[in-house]
Amino acid sequence: MFKVGSKLFLGLTGFAALVLLAYIIFVERLAVGGVALSLVFAALVGLTSIVLAVNEGDDEVQPRDATLTRASMWPLVTVVGLVLFVLGLVVAQVYFVFGIVVVLAALAEWMVQSWSESASDDVLHNESARRRLLHPIEFPVLAALGLGVILFSFSRIMLAISKSSGAAMFIVVASLVLLAGSLFALRPSLKPALVSGICVVGAIGIVAGGIAGAGAGMRTELAEAKEEGHFSHRECGTEKSKYFDKKAMKTLSLRSNVAAVIELRDGKLTAAVAGFEDPQETISVPRSNPVTFIFRNHDDTERRMVATLGTAMAASATQEAPSEKHGDSNETCTQLIPNGAEQGLTITYNKPSIAQETPFTLSVPGLDGQYIEVLVP
Amino acid sequence: MNHERTNAPADRHGFSVRRMGVRSLVSRVAAALGLLVVLASCATDAPQDTWQPKGPNAKLIDDLQQPIFAVAGIIGIIVFAVIVYVIWRYKDRGQPIPEQTHGKPALEITLTVIPALILAVVGVFTVRAIFDLARTDDSELVINVTGQQWWWEYDYPVQNEWGITQPIITSGQLVMPAGTKVLLRETSRDVIHSYWIPALNGKRDAVPGRIHTLRLEADEPGIYAGQCTEFCGLSHANMRMEAVALSKEDFAAWVANQQAAYTSPAEGTLAKEGESVFLNQCVRCHQVNGLKRADGTLAIAAPDENVWSGAAPNLSKLMTRNTFAGAMFDLLRDACRDDVWKSASADFGAKYLAGVDETCLNVTDLRAWLRNAPAEKPMYSNPALLTETNGKYRGMPNLGLSESDIDKLVAYLLTLK
Repeated sequence: MFKVGSKLFLGLTGFAALVLLAYIIFVERLAVGGVALSLVFAALVGLTSIVLAVNEGDDEVQPRDATLTRASMWPLVTVVGLVLFVLGLVVAQVYFVFGIVVVLAALAEWMVQSWSESASDDVLHNESARRRLLHPIEFPVLAALGLGVILFSFSRIMLAISKSSGAAMFIVVASLVLLAGSLFALRPSLKPALVSGICVVGAIGIVAGGIAGAGAGMRTELAEAKEEGHFSHRECGTEKSKYFDKKAMKTLSLRSNVAAVIELRDGKLTAAVAGFEDPQETISVPRSNPVTFIFRNHDDTERRMVATLGTAMAASATQEAPSEKHGDSNETCTQLIPNGAEQGLTITYNKPSIAQETPFTLSVPGLDGQYIEVLVP
Repeated sequence: MNHERTNAPADRHGFSVRRMGVRSLVSRVAAALGLLVVLASCATDAPQDTWQPKGPNAKLIDDLQQPIFAVAGIIGIIVFAVIVYVIWRYKDRGQPIPEQTHGKPALEITLTVIPALILAVVGVFTVRAIFDLARTDDSELVINVTGQQWWWEYDYPVQNEWGITQPIITSGQLVMPAGTKVLLRETSRDVIHSYWIPALNGKRDAVPGRIHTLRLEADEPGIYAGQCTEFCGLSHANMRMEAVALSKEDFAAWVANQQAAYTSPAEGTLAKEGESVFLNQCVRCHQVNGLKRADGTLAIAAPDENVWSGAAPNLSKLMTRNTFAGAMFDLLRDACRDDVWKSASADFGAKYLAGVDETCLNVTDLRAWLRNAPAEKPMYSNPALLTETNGKYRGMPNLGLSESDIDKLVAYLLTLK
């Protein structure tokens, strides 16, 4: 009933089922390993089904000079894609989409290969027909994928190693690329296999480094900065944050269309509002609409501007400067900026001023009694 | 075609007569429409007529467009006449094709230089007018203007010289002192709108995230109509506005009244019951400054939680305005409205400041609005279609108020003066 091939695939499928069962029982049900083994099992089920369905081909005796079709990997890839597709429905959308892409690509390749193999009696011609049709698509796609993998791997390496090592690594890799390129250019007689070998070794080295880098994780400095949230700040006081306040001298592209420009000069805080000739002590801004303030520091010491946002939900800052809740009130702030620098702060006031026990204000830590009141009608 | 004519002379004449009849009819209709268009420009009761400037900014634009229009009109007539003459004079009569020449440099240069000079002269005056209109440094009063679907909000920042000691917020009608350089700081809460009071200045877009300035100045007290001129959604055509110019004394009185404390209706009145209805229904979106709940806490509206733009008109002092629903409807009955709109400049302020009372209230439209707002002004207010807006409305939904509640609400709203 079952032939050799069928028995092989049935055996493999049974073995995969046992391993998967054992893994689920003895290790952990939802671990990555379980997903991978499920994938293997599902792939084998698919392949076994195909083998059984086609009965390992017909038993007709082929003439001795008949052209045999080439071995094809596309059935296997199709099944893997289908499994990813189904798995994605349960696990994550990215698998689902990736599965669709894999299935479509594999089916296209499979169809063209099947068509080309029966195009004529000339095997070479058939192969040439397939190449002419698919190479213009295969090469760019594979090149893009390969470059993507290499770039991603390289980025993992750069994130894992220290800044100085990163610079050194960049120089070394760039020098090696230059060296290899020069060698290939100066010695056109080099064997293609050697050229390919050098390229493959280089690519494998970078990918391996990338895997190691991803395993090691980001260097401490970056991990801490990420933990801090880069643009958020735990305390809007006078102290300097290690990461948030780093390199605060920035040039703003936003110069006009702001609600007000808040300037600190000679220890005094003033608001310049379009339409008003004189500096203002209060600013009126519409409710439920993002407004941007620019803070300019003309003080000798580094300063930041703090926006008091009233009670929770009364106002919120943009994603670039999320507010932090301190006690009953929210506040958000700019970075500490040196003399001559400026920073922008965008805030949405959702509730009117009359809803607040304490007013909405813009102030500078370390300057007592100096603040601009923000009125929201 | 010739074959048909030869074989069917009777049909040919019939066809010709019919065609002449149709041609005559089309000509007459076209002439009538043209006459209508020309006569329409002569309308005197056209509050949004760009040819009737009522302030220095609009006059500046008018002084520019009048001569340009005249020059362009004369040139247009000459060109049109030449085209007609050439068509008639050189139409195909079977004459031989005239000798073809390749260009006439002197003529071509002349025909290029003359328009270029005309455009250069127009350009000089236009650029000068643009810079004059963009001046903001000598503004005397600043008003923030915020557009949203489909109404305008006005808030007056603190300006002690005008007696504004706390922000004033209103909608529908922009109240300003006459003979004063008023600077509007425009923005939008949702999509791009455009603010245009033709009698007072050109139009200026209100863009989310940006503040654009526009100067208005009215020579005389009065009401100047306008409407949104940037397509902004379903009820764009109903997004209107009115600028109300008052004498400086009347404006001071208006400011004082807007800042006056809220007065709750007397106990036991229909209006007091209406206040309860308002607290239960309307205050979810509409703010009335000073209104308190039964427990003594201030009633704070939460349009940010219920409306897509995050705002709904503040109804404090509603009956000091003449319009509602984005200035689409009048709060005054027609006779009372005409009395205000057509009053002499000297009387206008007193009539406007009198606000709306029970005898003049346009109760029909107000009740219809309270009964089912989306039926009066198209808005995306179907509760079943709010998924894309996170359950928030664009405009006022149908609140399903009973007639009794509407009676109470109307009585309450009449007290908001």
